[in-house]
Amino acid sequence: MGIITISREFGSGGETVARFVAEKTRFLLVNKDTINEGLTEYGIEEPSGDPEKTVTGEESEQAVREYLEAMHNYIYDLAIRNNLVILGRGGSILFRDYPPALHVRVIARFTDRVQRVMKLYDLNSETAVKLVKEKDHEKRLYYRRVFDVNWNSVREYELVLNTGTMGLEDAADIIVAAYRIHSEPREVRDGPSGPDIENGILTPSAEEEADKFMHPSEEEFAHMLDFYRIRWDYEPRTFLLEWDSEGNVVEAFSPDFYLPDQDLYIELTTQKPKQAWRKNRKIRRMKELYPEVNVRLIDKKGFESLLKKHRIEEDEGEYR
Amino acid sequence: MSDKKSYREDRLKILLTQEQIEEKITAMGKKISADYAGKELILIGVLRGSTYFLVDLTRKMSIPFAIDFISISTYGEQSDSADVVRITKDLDLSITGKHVLIVEDIVDTGLSLGYLLRNLKTRNPAGLKICTLLNVEARRIVEVPVEYRGFDLPNIFVVGYGLDYKERYRNLQFIAEFDRP
Repeated sequence: MGIITISREFGSGGETVARFVAEKTRFLLVNKDTINEGLTEYGIEEPSGDPEKTVTGEESEQAVREYLEAMHNYIYDLAIRNNLVILGRGGSILFRDYPPALHVRVIARFTDRVQRVMKLYDLNSETAVKLVKEKDHEKRLYYRRVFDVNWNSVREYELVLNTGTMGLEDAADIIVAAYRIHSEPREVRDGPSGPDIENGILTPSAEEEADKFMHPSEEEFAHMLDFYRIRWDYEPRTFLLEWDSEGNVVEAFSPDFYLPDQDLYIELTTQKPKQAWRKNRKIRRMKELYPEVNVRLIDKKGFESLLKKHRIEEDEGEYR
Repeated sequence: MSDKKSYREDRLKILLTQEQIEEKITAMGKKISADYAGKELILIGVLRGSTYFLVDLTRKMSIPFAIDFISISTYGEQSDSADVVRITKDLDLSITGKHVLIVEDIVDTGLSLGYLLRNLKTRNPAGLKICTLLNVEARRIVEVPVEYRGFDLPNIFVVGYGLDYKERYRNLQFIAEFDRP
């Protein structure tokens, strides 16, 4: 899954930039409308009060919460099978823990944005100023409310583009080029069958490869999958498991491996059963929240028998 | 390690007796004979564990068939980490247009069997199914469709009836849980 997220200031032309990027990369463009369309098929409607607007009352809080959860799950599910350009919706935060993703922020000076809005919606200067201010406020609230982050923080992004001083298609070209550079090491990492193994300077050395794994058992498991020519991704996706009352993520889970051909997530644990309860609980929770996702836990015993079965012991023959 | 020490019977806990195994194989042979009546059937034994099962299974069958064997390398045989799975002994018969039944002693992770299926499929057999005496679903990583299964086992290590521990115990007439040292 390739991911480009584009967050934009109202009036910066970010929407058009996103459309250009999607066209140039042939990634699927995901915005508020496509998400709501998709969710409608599951019978989920966006609460009448747009979550970007202030909603009061416990009931609507609950509705908003459920909608946001469904929306986030929907985006994650889309991302499994598709390359995405995600416009807005907090995409950069949803995929913050997914290093290959490129997070872009499109901005422009206030006056430039007002100018663009005047032209685009045929408004007078006064109305345009009011609209831009309103929208900025709404977006700030949305990010605070849903993710508890400062929307204006540029540290959330790999790339910040000012469309006040460049054309929108040029901005899109820069994003596409940046994405290629940014995501290439990961393409290489996809295993021996992956492309561009000898493709020059971006290929990480074997040592660097090994460093990417959290645990030696994961590396060994990866070698075994390579041996059987089974494609895998290492920790490609984070599943959000628990939110506090304000919608901040308090628990998440990134299974170690994803096998795309099997459509299966695998979590390895070499902890003793008594210490593995936390992981077991996470997997249970994940199965509840994401029943359509296949996940399998390989525990200490299972992992040992797997390796022992497939490994020559010193001075002795193999098993079976 | 002396032979005596490595063949300690007290490490074995009998799970399936000779009678249970024979009864099951009789039923499987009957079922396979009925399902493949009138079809050109090739039984493919996956070396080396399945040999005992294959021989006994065919004795319970009442239809004509051909037998062939295949062997593939397993992970860890070569120290070279760039090594990949490959066929170390290929079929002698052509399976194109034939009905193929892969005979396994045990299916657990599905890793090697998954590779075998992918490989054999490219030879365009008329049918390609799997028959295993033992099935350990709990260890599955790659889903493989198992048509005929003798016994479902939990995630334990077993020996006997073709299944070995360091080439030992294959010739046991029963199947036992083995307490590995």
